[in-house]
Amino acid sequence: MAYSDKVIEHAENPRNVGTLDKDDPNVGTGLVGAPACGDVMRLQIKVGDDGVIQDAKFKTFGCGSAIASSSLATEWIKGKKVEEAEAIRNVDIVNELNLPPVKIHCSVLAEDAIKSAIADYRAKQAAKRGAAE
Amino acid sequence: MNDPFEMLGVERRFDLDLKVLEKTHRELSRALHPDRFVKAGASERRAVLEKAASVNEAWRTVRDPIARAEALFRLAGIEVGEDKEPKASPAFLMAVMDEREALSDARAAKDLVKVHAVGATMGKRASETEQKLTAGFAASRGDTAATQKLVPLLGELRFYKRFLDEVSAIEEEND
Repeated sequence: MAYSDKVIEHAENPRNVGTLDKDDPNVGTGLVGAPACGDVMRLQIKVGDDGVIQDAKFKTFGCGSAIASSSLATEWIKGKKVEEAEAIRNVDIVNELNLPPVKIHCSVLAEDAIKSAIADYRAKQAAKRGAAE
Repeated sequence: MNDPFEMLGVERRFDLDLKVLEKTHRELSRALHPDRFVKAGASERRAVLEKAASVNEAWRTVRDPIARAEALFRLAGIEVGEDKEPKASPAFLMAVMDEREALSDARAAKDLVKVHAVGATMGKRASETEQKLTAGFAASRGDTAATQKLVPLLGELRFYKRFLDEVSAIEEEND
């Protein structure tokens, strides 16, 4: 399989690999997997009080395209508002990385990971507000 | 699709004695060997060749637990593969992620004992999933709705396989 230069670049030098404290109420954790291939991806965001994503980290166990998709996703969402990050679509990732059709599911996984991290962050914020009332 | 079970003359089930099947495959292949058909007409020789290829394909399918499960689902009229399978449960993914991180740490530390241990844990879980598939396919025969409920187990097998392939790769690089 021929990977595009951008995929290779991200896979060899992934950005933002790591872990954020999942118990921090400002941190949202998204954990997703692809049953068709067995890849797993965790993406975390740390959101400031202004609703801007201050930091994003990921850890992906999978193929080069899955690593590149999640690496790019963390790069894109850092500094964005949660709502803006939520608007990222897998086709944006496909276009940026020139993913071939057989690797589109990797970009779907990255989109799911962003959404799942945001959902987790919102659930935590709602729980925090509930506890404060 | 061809029915690989029928091709090899075995019952459609998940738990198969692969040793017996390997022997069946070998015998069938021998019986279909082109050398036996040198005097046959061109169309018969072609038909025999095609049958031999189908027998090989059937053997490749049934010997591999993932391909075997996929075949059983397809024969039950259930589509599997990309986009057609449900998402893995968060608890399952978390467990896989934990073991993935343990494996990655063990690899970085060149701790082969730990690599083996993590591999053994996941291998055991994979066998448990295979046992669930055996019981599930046996119980749901002919019942599409009940068979459908087994699809997540196929996804689990793929996560385990991916993991165990990684364990083998690490073991090889440290040989």
